[in-house]
Amino acid sequence: MEAMEVDSSSKNGGFLLQRKQSLYTSLDSCFEIKKEEMYRGQQFSQIYYARLYLMRTLLYSLVPNWKPLLPVCTVLGLEEGKECIIVGTLYKHMKLKPSILEEYSKERSAIPLVKPHNFIHPDDYLVLEDESGRVKLRGDVLLPSVYVTGIVVALLGKGSDAGYFWVEDILEAGLPHQVERPIESGEDKYVILVSGLGVGSSSSNPLQFQLLVDHITGHLGDAKEQSIAAKIVQVIIAGNSVEIPCGLLNGQNLSSKDQSRLSEPIKELDILLTQIAAGVPVDIMPGPNDPANFSLPQQPLHRCLFPGASAYNTFKSCHNPHSLKLDDVSLLGTSGQNVDDLEKYSDAKGKLDSMERTLRWRHLAPTAPNTLGCYPFTDRDPFFLESCPHVYFIGNQEKYDTRLIKGEEGQIVRLICIPRFSETGVAVVLNMRNLECHTLSFGTQFG
Amino acid sequence: MNNKGNSRKRPQPPLPPPQQPQQKHHSSMEDEDVDEDVFLEETLLLQHEEDTQAFRDAEERQAPRLQKWKRPPLCQHYLSQSQSIIFQQLDIDYVIGDGHKDLLPNSSGPAAILRIFGVTKEGHSVCCHVHGFEPYFYISCPPGMGPDDISHFHQILEGRMREVNRSSKVPKFVRRIELVQRRSIMYYQQQKDQPFLKIVVALPTMITSCRGILDRGIHIDGLGMKSFMTYESNVLFALRFMIDCDIVGGNWIEVPVGKYKKTAKNLSYCQLEFECLYTDMISHVPEGEFSKMAPFRILSFDIECSGRKGLFPEPTHDPVIQVANLVTLQGEDHPFVRNVMTLKSCSPIVGVDVMPFDTEKDVLLAWRDFIHEADPDIIIGYNICKFDLPYLIQRAEVLGIAEFSILGRIRNSRVRVKDTTFSSRQYGTRESKEVTVEGRVQFDLLQVMQRDYKLSSYSLNSVSAHFLNEQKEDVHHSIISDLQNGNSETRRRLAVYCLKDAYLPQRLLDKLMLIYNYVEMARVTGVPISFLLSRGQSIKVLSQLLRKAKQKNLVIPNVKQAGSEQGTYEGATVLEASAGFFEKPIATLDFASLYPSIMMAYNLCYCTLVTPEDMHRLNLPPEWVNKTPSGETFVKSNLQKGILPEILEELLAARKRAKADLKEAKDPLVKAVLDGRQLALKISANSVYGFTGATVGQLPCLEISSSVTSYGRQMIEHTKKLVEDKFTVLAGYEHNAEVIYGDTDSVMVQFGVPTVDEAMNLGREAADYISGTFIKPIKLEFEKVYYPYLLISKKRYAGLLWTNPNKFDKMDAKGIETVRRDNCLLVKNLVTECLHKILIDRDVPGAVQYVKNTIADLLMNRVDLSLLVITKGLTKTGDDYEVKAAHVELAERMRKRDAATAPNVGDRVPYVIVKAAKGAKAYERSEDPIYVLDNNIPIDPHYYLENQISKPLLRIFEPILKNASKELLQGSHTRSISISTPSNSGIMKFAKKQPTCIGCKALISNSEYTLCSHCKGREAELYCKSVANVSELEKLFGRLWTQCQECQGSLHQDVLCTSRDCPIFYRRKKAQKDMVEAKLQLDRWNL
Repeated sequence: MEAMEVDSSSKNGGFLLQRKQSLYTSLDSCFEIKKEEMYRGQQFSQIYYARLYLMRTLLYSLVPNWKPLLPVCTVLGLEEGKECIIVGTLYKHMKLKPSILEEYSKERSAIPLVKPHNFIHPDDYLVLEDESGRVKLRGDVLLPSVYVTGIVVALLGKGSDAGYFWVEDILEAGLPHQVERPIESGEDKYVILVSGLGVGSSSSNPLQFQLLVDHITGHLGDAKEQSIAAKIVQVIIAGNSVEIPCGLLNGQNLSSKDQSRLSEPIKELDILLTQIAAGVPVDIMPGPNDPANFSLPQQPLHRCLFPGASAYNTFKSCHNPHSLKLDDVSLLGTSGQNVDDLEKYSDAKGKLDSMERTLRWRHLAPTAPNTLGCYPFTDRDPFFLESCPHVYFIGNQEKYDTRLIKGEEGQIVRLICIPRFSETGVAVVLNMRNLECHTLSFGTQFG
Repeated sequence: MNNKGNSRKRPQPPLPPPQQPQQKHHSSMEDEDVDEDVFLEETLLLQHEEDTQAFRDAEERQAPRLQKWKRPPLCQHYLSQSQSIIFQQLDIDYVIGDGHKDLLPNSSGPAAILRIFGVTKEGHSVCCHVHGFEPYFYISCPPGMGPDDISHFHQILEGRMREVNRSSKVPKFVRRIELVQRRSIMYYQQQKDQPFLKIVVALPTMITSCRGILDRGIHIDGLGMKSFMTYESNVLFALRFMIDCDIVGGNWIEVPVGKYKKTAKNLSYCQLEFECLYTDMISHVPEGEFSKMAPFRILSFDIECSGRKGLFPEPTHDPVIQVANLVTLQGEDHPFVRNVMTLKSCSPIVGVDVMPFDTEKDVLLAWRDFIHEADPDIIIGYNICKFDLPYLIQRAEVLGIAEFSILGRIRNSRVRVKDTTFSSRQYGTRESKEVTVEGRVQFDLLQVMQRDYKLSSYSLNSVSAHFLNEQKEDVHHSIISDLQNGNSETRRRLAVYCLKDAYLPQRLLDKLMLIYNYVEMARVTGVPISFLLSRGQSIKVLSQLLRKAKQKNLVIPNVKQAGSEQGTYEGATVLEASAGFFEKPIATLDFASLYPSIMMAYNLCYCTLVTPEDMHRLNLPPEWVNKTPSGETFVKSNLQKGILPEILEELLAARKRAKADLKEAKDPLVKAVLDGRQLALKISANSVYGFTGATVGQLPCLEISSSVTSYGRQMIEHTKKLVEDKFTVLAGYEHNAEVIYGDTDSVMVQFGVPTVDEAMNLGREAADYISGTFIKPIKLEFEKVYYPYLLISKKRYAGLLWTNPNKFDKMDAKGIETVRRDNCLLVKNLVTECLHKILIDRDVPGAVQYVKNTIADLLMNRVDLSLLVITKGLTKTGDDYEVKAAHVELAERMRKRDAATAPNVGDRVPYVIVKAAKGAKAYERSEDPIYVLDNNIPIDPHYYLENQISKPLLRIFEPILKNASKELLQGSHTRSISISTPSNSGIMKFAKKQPTCIGCKALISNSEYTLCSHCKGREAELYCKSVANVSELEKLFGRLWTQCQECQGSLHQDVLCTSRDCPIFYRRKKAQKDMVEAKLQLDRWNL
C-alpha cells in the first residue's frame, strides 16, 4: 500500500504527519455466494442440516469432558426414563410469532395491529430436533425465553412417556478457539467504526458527516488532534449508509425527477466516501436499508453506485457479515440484523448479552433462516463460527455500548454496539493496541 | 389420508355382494325412516369358542400395550351386583331375540330386545338389554266397534299379516289390540277423547307391513272394505322406546340394585352387561349432577392407502399401509393413547407407540384388536363414514380376513355397510355409506362441518386453517406410495403426517365444543346422538312433538306423503330497499325469535286449527278465534292451548334458564354444557316453524306456516307504518324518520339524527312503543346501529355495526363478495379493502384509488397469481356435464399431460384463465396455475376485469359514485398493459434471445454490457431498482418457505406439501422461480 499522508496544513508549518498503516487481510470469502452456488430451487432444510452436522461434530467432541459416562442418543433412540444426552437443533414454538398466513386471515381486524417489539410469550416452548425427529422439551434449567430457533445444543435429560424430554443440563458449544495475541502490543492504531450514516434520510445532517470525514482525514483540529487522526488505520462503515425514499422502487418507470431523487443520496455518499478513501482505507458493509440484497449474507454494494470512491484501491465494498484481520487483530461484525432479530425472538438484558450469546452458541445468526432472511446454502453454514474474533461489532444500534468478555480458554473479545450516526452523531474508535474503545461525538449546534 | 374431504374420500363403488350381509337401502326422503330388524343369530352365540380363538393371538401380539388401552377394572360393588348401575347412554338399538324367561315368564317367540350402550362415571362400559317393550301404533276405532268386533278384527288382521310375511316364523304377529281413548292432533275438536285402537305387534318391522295392509284397506264383515288412517306408525322403534320411557339422547339412566340380572352369557365386550325390564329403569332428567358427561372414550383415527399412479385408491387393489389412532377421555386435554400401525418397518416417533407389521392382514387385525381393547364409545375422524371405515371393511373382505369386521361391541357380530342417500331441503342430497358399528357412535367431522358451517372448502386442511389457525402439510397422493416404498425413515414421515390427520379432528372437536353441543342438542330434542348427524331437522321436532302429544293424550297421524303438490306459500317479506350510502346512523329494530313468538302469540298449532267446514259446523264466536292474514282460523288459547306454542314456550323458557345459569357458572365444563344447551334450544325453537312448512316432512301443515309468514309480513309493514307516522317533525321530533329497508325480522330506520347515541335512544323508544302494540310475546328489540351504512339492494348491504355509542363493534357485510366461495381471492380482497376504506376510513377517494391501483396491477401483470386462482369441485367426469365447464375441461387436459397428478372426481380443481386465441371460449382458456407459473403463460387480465371484479365493484360503488363504471373501469390506469411471454409456445422455439438494456429494453449488440449507451450514467438508479426487486423477493421467499417448514413441523427435511388449498402454495412456487430470475438479472450487473 502506498504511503498516505495526513494533509499538512500551513498551520503545522510544513510538518508532515505520516499516517500509520496496518496489514489488511479480508476473511469475507465465506460470505460470498459463489457462482456454483446459484439458486436452483433448494429449500432451507439443507442449511439446517449443514449446521447440525458442523455443530454436532463439535459438541460430540465436548461431551466426554462434560458428562463422561452418559450415552448419547438420537431423538428416536430416546427411551423412557433413561438418562442420556441428545444433540439437535432447537426450535422454539412461539404463540405470537408473526406468520405470513395472517395476511389471509378471515377478517381484517378493524383495530390496527400494534406491533410489539418482542414476540415472546409465557406459553412458548422449545423442541429439539435432529434429522430423525422432534421431541418437546421441559425442565427448569432450559428457559424458552433465552433460546431461539436454530441453535444447536447438547442436552442431558430423560425421556418421559408423554413424549417429553425432561432437561437436566445444557451444553452450549461455547466460545471458539482464538488465535492468541499479546494483550498490549506495539503502538496505538485506531479503527473507526461507524454505522447508520443514513445519507438522504430526514435525520441525517450533511455537516455532521462532513465533520467526521474531516476528522478522519485530518482536516480538523490542531496538531495534537491531527496526530491522533494520523493513527487511524481503517474506517469500517457498518451498514445503512444511504436511505432511498421508499415508494420510488415499485417497479414502475420513473420520471426524470424521481430518477434524480433516487440517485441523489447515493451521489452524495460517494463524494464523502471518495474523500475518506483518498486518505484512509475504508470498508463499507451493506445494511438492511442499503441498495443491496435482503438476505444474509448481504453481498457487497455494487461498485457502480460509487464511481468516485471505487477508483481508489483503499475503498472496499464488503459483505455483511464482515470479517477481516488488521495486523494480528481479527474483527467480525454485522450491520446489526442478527442481534436485532434475536431481540425480537428472545429475552436478554441488552444487545451486548445477545451478542455474547451468539458467540457462546458459536453461531453468528441462529435465527436465520427462520425469522432472519438468509440465502439457502446447500452444503455449508457460513454463520458457524470457526474461530473467535478479537473484536465483534454490530451496527445500527440505539446507543454505543461495549464490553470485554473472557472465555474459558482465555479468549478475550471486545464487543461493540455501534450507534446510528445520523441520529447520535457518534462514531466509535477502537485502539488496536489494547482493544480499548472510546467514542467521537460530532455536533453541529452552537452554544 | 391426505386431501381430506376433497379428493380421495369419495364413496367407493359398492362391491359385488360378498358373503357378508350387505343391505342396500335407498331412502329418497329423509323422513322415510324404517326399522330394520337384526336377528340375534343362534350361531353367533355358539361361536363363542372360536371368538376367543380369534383374539387369542391378540393377547400375545399386544401384551405390553393392553394395560394402557384397557378400561379401569370393575370394583367389588359392581362384581357382586350390590350397587345400582348408573350410566350415561350414548346409543340405543335393538335386536330380535328370545324373550327373557325370568323377567318375562309369559313371553313366547322372538321379540325386540333393546340394547342401551353407555358409560358409567367411573368409565366402565355398559350394555343394558331391555326387555318387555313392544312395538305398537294406533288407528282410529271405527264407530260402533265393540270388544267382540275388535277380537274379530284382530283375527282378520293376523290372517292378512301371515299372508304378507310368509317366511316369518313368528307365532303371533299381532300381539293384541287394545281399545284406548285418544285424540288426533289434527284440527280443533270440541269433544275431548275418542276411541282408538292400539295395535301391538310382535316385531318392529311388522308395523310397516301392518300399516301397508291397513292403508290399502281390509275387509271387515259388516263394514265392507275399509282402509284406515294409521297414527304414529312411522316412529322408529328405538325412538318410540325413548319417548315412552322419557329417555332423551345422552342422558343418565339408572337401573336399581336387584332390578337387573347379569346376562348368562356375555354377548358383548362391555364390562357391565345385564338385563332388565323397561319398567324398572329410571331415566334421569339432565340436570344438576346428571347434566355432566361421563368420561367416555373418543377415538380419532385416520388411514393411509398406497394408491397406484394416477388413480384414486380402491379397496380392491390398494393396500392400507398405515392407521393412526388417538384415544382421548371426554373432558381431558390430551389423548392417553397415541399409536400408529404401519405396514413394514417405521422409525420410532417420540411419544407415539409405533407398531410396524409385515403384512397388511396384521395391520388390519392389530387395529381390530386395538378397537376391542381401547373400546371407544365414540369414533371420530374426517370423512371416516364415507371413506376410512368402508375402505377398511372392504379391504378386509378383499383380503379374505373374515374376522376383521367384528368391530362393534357385540361378540361375533360383523359391521354392516349399506349405501344410503340422505336428502333434505336444508342440506341437499348427499350419498353416503352407513357403517353400523354396534355400540359405538360415529361422529364424522366432515359431516359436522358440512352441516353446521358454510365454508369455501371442506378439506381438512382448510377447515383446520379456518378454525384452528393451523395449516397442515398436504402430501400429494402420488408421493404416498413413494414414501411407503422408501425406507423406515420415509415411512416415519408418512406416519407423522397420518397422526396429524388423526389429531386435527380431535382438535376441532375440542375447539368447537362439538361433544357438548351435540349431546345437549340430543338432550333438548330427545333423539339419540347418532340421529343428529345421520338425519335431518324434522326428526328432532317430531321427537318433541311426540313427547308432548303423549302427555296430552294426543296421537299424531301418519299423513301420506303429499310431495310438493300441496304447493308453496308466500315467504317472508322484504321491504323495498332504498339503495344508497347512508352517512347518518341507521337504527335496526329486530323481532326477537319472530316466528316462534308469532306461533305463541296467535296459538298456532295443529290442534287449534279450525277447518272451514268445522267453522260453519261449530259456529264459534269470532272473539274466540284468530283469523290469520292468510285466511286460516285458529282457536285462542282459552279454548284450546296449542301444543307447538307450549313446546316453544318451554324451549324459550329453558333457554332463558340456561343463559342465566351460564352467567352464574364458574366451572368451564359446566359452562360448556350450558352454552351448548342454550344454543341447542335456540336452534330447536327456530326449526319448529320449518317443520310445519316442510312439504315432504313428517307432518306438514301449510295452514300454520303460511299463517306465520303472513303475520310476519304484516308486522314488518305495521312497524314501518308506525315508525314513519310517529317519528315526524310534526310530532315534535327533529327529523322525519324513514324506513329504508326491512328484512324477514328486522327493520332499518333512519331517524335523521347525526349521532349514534341519539339514534340509539330513538331506536329504543321506537322498539318499546311498537312492542306495546303487539300481542305478547312478540317483541321488537333495538340492538344495533349501522353507521355508516351502504345498502346495495335486497339482502346485500354493509355497514359498521355499533352496539354502544363509543366504539363500533365490527364491519358487517351481508350478501357481498367478501365471503362468496366461487370467486378468486382478488375479488374478496378488493371488496373487503374497499369496504374498509369506505366505511371505516371514510375515504371514498382512497377506495377509488385503491381500485385503480389494483386494476393497473392486474393489467400490468403484477398481481400475485394465487389471488387469481378460481377453484371448483369436480363432481363428475367431463362427459356427464351437459355444458362445458372450465374446470372440467382443464381436468381433462391435465389428464392427457400427466395422469398421475391430474385431478380426479371429487377433487377441487384450481385454475386461472389465460390468454388464448381470439374467440376462444372461457372453458378453453382455463389452465393449471402451476403450469402457468412454469411456462410463463400470460393470464387474461380482461377476463378478470370483466367477469370477476367489475360487477361486485360496481355494486358497491354505484350508490356512492356517479358514473362509477366510467370512473373505475376506464381511464389512464387501464392503458398500460404488460403480458408475459410464454416459454412453451411454438413460435418461441424459433425466437433468439438477445440481451436488452435493463434501463430501456433496447437491444444491445454486445452482450458484455448491461446498459445501452443511452442509459449509461443511470447505473446507480437502475441498479437500485434491480436490487430492490431482488431484496423484496428474498424477503418473501424467506417468509414463505419458513412458514412451510413450520407447518411441516421439521427443519431438517424438505417441504413436500402440495396443498393447493393453502393460500401461499402458488406464491411459494412463484417465489422459487422468481428468485432464480431475479438473481440472473442481478448477475448481469457483474459483467
